This record gives sequence, structure tokens and C-alpha cells, in this order.
Amino acid sequence: MTIVTGKTGARQELRPARWSLLLQKIWEHRADYAYVLPAIVVMLIVIAYPIYYTVELSFFNTPPGLQLRDKIFIGFDNYTAILTSQVFWKVTWNTLVWTLASTFISFALGFAAALALHRDFVGRGVLRAILIIPWVISAVAASYIWKWIYHSDFGIIGAVLVGLGLTDRPPNFIDSVSTVLPSLIVVNIWREFPFAMIMMMAGLQTVPDQLLRAAKVDGANAWQRFWHVTFPHLRDVSTVTILLLAVANFNSFIIPWIMTGGGPSNASHIWITHIYELAFGRQRWGVASAYSVLLFLFMMTLGYFYVRALSGNERKEANS
Amino acid sequence: MAHVVLKDLIKTYGSFKAVNNVSLTVNDGEFVALVGPSGCGKTTTLNLIAGLIPITSGDIFIGDRVVNGLDPKDRDIAMVFQNYALYPQKSVYMNLAFPLQMRKLPRDEIDKKVREAAKVLDMTQLLERKPRELSGGQQQRVALGRALVRDPAVFLMDEPLSNLDAKLRVQMRSEIKRFHQDLKATIVYVTHDQLEAVTMADRMAVMNGGFLQQYDSPAQVFAHPANMFVASFVGSPAMSLIPLEVSTANGGTVLTSAEGWSLPLSQLNARKVLGATTRKIVLGARHSTIKLHKSAAPGAIPAKAYTVEPTGDVTFVQAFLSGAIVNISVSPNIAVTPDEHIWLEFDQERIHLFDGETEMALQAD
Repeated sequence: MTIVTGKTGARQELRPARWSLLLQKIWEHRADYAYVLPAIVVMLIVIAYPIYYTVELSFFNTPPGLQLRDKIFIGFDNYTAILTSQVFWKVTWNTLVWTLASTFISFALGFAAALALHRDFVGRGVLRAILIIPWVISAVAASYIWKWIYHSDFGIIGAVLVGLGLTDRPPNFIDSVSTVLPSLIVVNIWREFPFAMIMMMAGLQTVPDQLLRAAKVDGANAWQRFWHVTFPHLRDVSTVTILLLAVANFNSFIIPWIMTGGGPSNASHIWITHIYELAFGRQRWGVASAYSVLLFLFMMTLGYFYVRALSGNERKEANS
Repeated sequence: MAHVVLKDLIKTYGSFKAVNNVSLTVNDGEFVALVGPSGCGKTTTLNLIAGLIPITSGDIFIGDRVVNGLDPKDRDIAMVFQNYALYPQKSVYMNLAFPLQMRKLPRDEIDKKVREAAKVLDMTQLLERKPRELSGGQQQRVALGRALVRDPAVFLMDEPLSNLDAKLRVQMRSEIKRFHQDLKATIVYVTHDQLEAVTMADRMAVMNGGFLQQYDSPAQVFAHPANMFVASFVGSPAMSLIPLEVSTANGGTVLTSAEGWSLPLSQLNARKVLGATTRKIVLGARHSTIKLHKSAAPGAIPAKAYTVEPTGDVTFVQAFLSGAIVNISVSPNIAVTPDEHIWLEFDQERIHLFDGETEMALQAD
């Protein structure tokens, strides 16, 4: 008993000491806090307040136009309306297909390109530069270029297919409900696989040469060396790359919006384009806000895993 | 086990010759150390034997087989690397099993061999751990084990101890030596540390600038260095090398210094220097063969102590003669202070004489 009381007594004594220690530490770093203060203030104005306002709006029925003073509190009605609407599920499905397909195919292509470029051959530098081009081109410009490539009357793909005699009439890539989403995904993959390539190329350079040599001496062939040495070593950078791609794809806007505007009949709407259309096209601020809140929650979950993957790396490095 | 023969081995990178006409034979069951400073070509030579880099010209025999174009896996070698090169995601057991799995051995045989190797290296209790959970010494033992399970013809070791701390290095040094004695293994061992080579190897191949400088037992290399490089590389502290000139005085042959003093030579040594094509001679003497006098003595050369380093067993005194640093070891009960005047006496029987131009050791014909 005496030991227990002794312990709690000590802890109670510790607490104020710890507080004053914290304050002392803050005071010692007062200049540092002063330096980040402007950034924090700006962040509060341009990020924190809009987030708060979006959450607030999501509980209101808002009139069209910007007369938001006339909004009416309706609780979770916006959310129930969204979750029971057919469009929501359609758009969610599109978003999932868009994100998963874009992310994993971009990653696979980028990884393959990185592996190919990791070897030494003549023209490697030129090829590397060429493969990065899609990523450095502005997404807007790329969208317009691809719109022309896909064009049903003047598009080069259609012309080539007809020229080869594979089809009588040029296919209608982005005006057809069934082909529009895959067509857009192709553009998105084309645009972002160089990012995965760069990440994986950087990762490949960190694979210890000695390990590969050891595997060679141990009798592993090229594929076995890849599977037993290179691939496990790239697990962390792969996780980060895939997460970053997934976040970027969830938040995609430019390509679908410019190329199709979400059409035809919502076939290429993903969350962001749909929210944008609800808010700035149909001026349904409340519903759009509720949509945004749902997306925000979803993204925060992804972000949580991203941070955990990153800090997991650090913990591992600290241990080794 | 098998012997290894290198014949006129050359490796060039562009115009740079990393390995230059190296020929040597490693006998069956012999422990040979390739030793030299950074960039001397020792690791390149080892990688050539392993087949990790292609040779430019020459031949490599392992056993009676020419292995020039063979893949590393077909050369019947095992290699231990400086950074251990353990597979970080695999347990110790899987690390040891990996080379056997690659050779598609049946599972029960793999298990038997892995457990045997673990027993030999006393790490049965570590089998389930990951490399990151092991100390440096344990990791190195796993690396040895991974080489051992294969029962290869030749073990190639690339500076396996240089990542360990000093104390562990000494311990692992004797473990590897014991490993060699127990297995009668043929080992080619690369190190930049001449002490490791001297203490562990049956024969040491001293390399510099891609050339094999001398290939002999450590005792021979120590007693009869072939040239100035070997003389200065093997032994610690290094052999003192003093540049002098030959002249005659009172009918005898002497070495004279630009500082004005001269050293009369014995008949044998005189024959050696007179056989040289140049008058420039370098006098070599190991620290233990130079006698230090605290007052003038016949035949002793005056100098001034520069630094004094007590190590406990012996005290090392450094002085300058003819612009060269001279190391002398004295008993710790002889007190020498820096800047004190001292007199140095060379032992005619134990000095080394080198041609000042070719840098080769001079022999009496």
C-alpha cells in the first residue's frame, strides 16, 4: 500500500513540473513559433474556415444564387438525400473504377518502365526524358489533345482503325456510355504513369548492390533476384507511390471535366466533377457541401494510412 | 575443396587497369589474403574470381576447370560480403536456406543442412530472428553460415570484418581462422588491414596499383619485403624508409645523408648497394631493430625526438632523419621527452636496402 501511494504521490508531483517544462520549452522556442505564425494564420483563413463553412452548409437547404442568409437548417437531410439517390451510387462506382484502375495500371506501367530504364543501355537518358513528358504537360492541354485523338470524326485513332480495315466507322470513344470511362482512364494513366516511374526509379537506386551480388552468388536468376531482393526492398516506396496516386486520382477533376464534363448521362462523372457541377452548375450549395464532407472523411481515412505507412518506415529505419 | 589459379589476369575499365597481370595459385585448403590499400585491385580480383564482373583477359581456374565465362552460381563458390548482405526480409533460417532453395534441394535436406550450419556456428537459437534483430557479429556469423551450407569449393570473403567494432573484429578474426582450420577450406580473403592478413592467412598477396607486389607467407613478407611499398605497408608502425646516397669513405662503403651524417655498411650490405644501378639508396628499418641511445654512442646517428607515444607495453618514439619519419620502439621504462636529443643505432643484420629509383629490395648476388 505504501508503495502505491508513494507512486501516485510522485506522479501528482510530476504533473505541474511537466506543464511548466512544456511552457518553458515553448518559451525557449518562441522565435520559431513566431516564424510559423503567419503561415498558420493564412492556413486558418484559407483552409480551416472553408472547411468549417462547408460542414455548416451541409446541414442547410440553400437557395440558388448567393443569398445564403436565407438558408434553412434541415439536419442530415442532405446526407440522406445523397445516400439514397441513384446518381450518388453511379458516381461512387465511377470514382472507384476510375481510381483503382488508374492507380494500379499507372503503378504497374511506371514500375515496368522504371525496371526497363534501370539497366544501362544506349539512349536511356533520351528515353527517360521522353517518358516524363506526359507528366510535365499541363493536364488541360493534354485533355484537349486527347479529345481530338478520340474525336469520332477527326480523331487519329478512329482514322487508323478505319484505315486498317478493323472497323467501318470510327468508334465513338467519349460519346458512348460504355466506352467513355475507360477512355478517360487511359488518358489519366498516360498522364500519371511517369510519376510512378520516377518514384520507382528512385527506389531501385536504393537496392543494395551487395544484396544482388549475394543473390547472384547464391544462384538466383534474374527473376529470383527481383522477387527475393528488389521487390521486398521496394515495398515501402510502392506503398507510398500507390497511396499518392490514389489520393491524386480521387481528387481528379481536370481530365474528366474538360473532356466530357461528366457526360454522357453521368457516365464519366466522378465525385469531384459531380460536386463541382452540383455547386457551381446547379447552385445546390448544401448538397454539394454534404458531398464534400463525405469525400473529406474518406480522404482523411486514406491520409491516415498514408501517414502511418510513412511513419512506419521511419520506425523501421530507427530500429535498424 | 579445390585450388584456385589466376593466370595473367587483367581487368581494365576504359584505359584504367584495375587488375594488371596478376598470376597466383591458391592451394587446396589454403587461406590466402589479398591485401592492399583502397583501389589496389584486391576487391576487383575477388569479384573476378566470383564471376561478378567479366575478366578482360587471362584465365581463372577453380579446381581444374577454367571458369572464365561461367556465372557465379556455376563456379561452386560462396561469398561473404563486407555489409553481410543478408536478405533483410528473411529470417536467419531462410537466409541460410536461400542458396539451397535456389539449387532446388529437397526440403528435408535443406532443413538438415541449415540446422547443421547453425550448430557449427552456434546460432541455433537465432534461426527465427530477422537480420535487423541481430548484432553485427551475429549477422556476420549468419553470412558465414550462408556460405557454409553450400559446401563450396572456395570461400571468397570481401572485407568481412571491417564493419565490426575493434573488439568484435579481434574475436571474429580468431573465429574465421578456427573455421578455416576445422573445415580445411580454401579461402580467398580480401582486406585492407595488413594485421588481419598477417594474423590469419597462410599466404598473403600484397597488391598495389593493380599489380601483385609480393605473394608469400606473412613471415617472409615481413622479413623480406620485395619492395618499398610492401615494406611500408606490412607491419605497424610502418617500416621507416630513409633516403640516402652511396659513397666511399676510408676504403669502406657508406650511406650518406644530406644532413651530413653517414652510416658505414657491413660487407654484405655494401655488396647489395654496389649492385644497384643508382647511387640513391633507401634504408629501411623496423621500429624494433633500431636502438635508441640517450647519449652519443659509436655508430649511432644523432637525431631529435619528435613525438613520444606510450602504449603500455612499448613506447613509440618518432624522429626525423633525412626528412623521413623514423619510428623506434623502446621499453616504457626509458623516459624520452619530445625535442630531446637522441642517438639511433641501426642493426646491420636487420636493415633493408632498396634501390632509390626502382624501389626494389636490393639483394647480394
